Amino acid sequence: MKLTPSFNRSLWAFHFNSGSCNGCEIEIVAAITPRYDPERFGIKLVGSPRHADVMVVTGPVVKKMKDRLIRVYNQIPDPKLVMCVGTCGISGGVFYDSYNLEGPVDEVIPVDVYVPGCPPRPEAIIHGVVAAWAKLERLEGGSA
Amino acid sequence: MDLPVSLSTGTGYWNPLAWLLATVIAAVIVYLIWQRGESGYKKGTAQTAPFISGNPEPGKEMVHVRASNLYWGYLDALKGYYERIVPAHTGVVNDYVLWYLGVTALLMVVVVVFI
Repeated sequence: MKLTPSFNRSLWAFHFNSGSCNGCEIEIVAAITPRYDPERFGIKLVGSPRHADVMVVTGPVVKKMKDRLIRVYNQIPDPKLVMCVGTCGISGGVFYDSYNLEGPVDEVIPVDVYVPGCPPRPEAIIHGVVAAWAKLERLEGGSA
Repeated sequence: MDLPVSLSTGTGYWNPLAWLLATVIAAVIVYLIWQRGESGYKKGTAQTAPFISGNPEPGKEMVHVRASNLYWGYLDALKGYYERIVPAHTGVVNDYVLWYLGVTALLMVVVVVFI
């Protein structure tokens, strides 16, 4: 698989809330503040999945969001990675047996990077992005 | 004939070659920007579908703005006029001929009686 040259310079992420309590969103916003400033490495949030390399999903997948999650995932150009941020998206968290849950994110779309925490700290989120970037570089080399 | 002449107007000048050069430069810049865009979208898949916050794309008939919509304010402002005029346009020739005869008769009365 050959990546476009733009991967050599930047990694654009699209954030998708599939039912999060907003705790992970607050930490994602904290991660892109000047304190950490990941944009100096070309890492930034974008407003459209069609511009994204990585999909950052927060929260467990509620029934209303399942179709939308799949639709948005399909709208991201290949190659793409999915990063699951927060315990809820990984396992359902405290909502694991809720009646309106479709399940963890990886039961709906394939997940490449997991960032546990409730919510995870910005450092952990940035570490997850770096892990995603490393996987993309492996994809570029065709060894993933 | 000296084609590439400059036309000086006092406030500027017109030279077809300068415009041609500017157009070519602009086209090259546009092409370079376009070339650097994402070209990996798979046509016919969701990757080329419009992003509407994850919602399904509505049918064209649901989002198409008809030309008459542009005149909504105009039609609404003249509603009293159109409510009378539109029903009179039945599409039946006999009706139009009757209107023609009626209006002509009315004009004749006006002309004969008052003028």
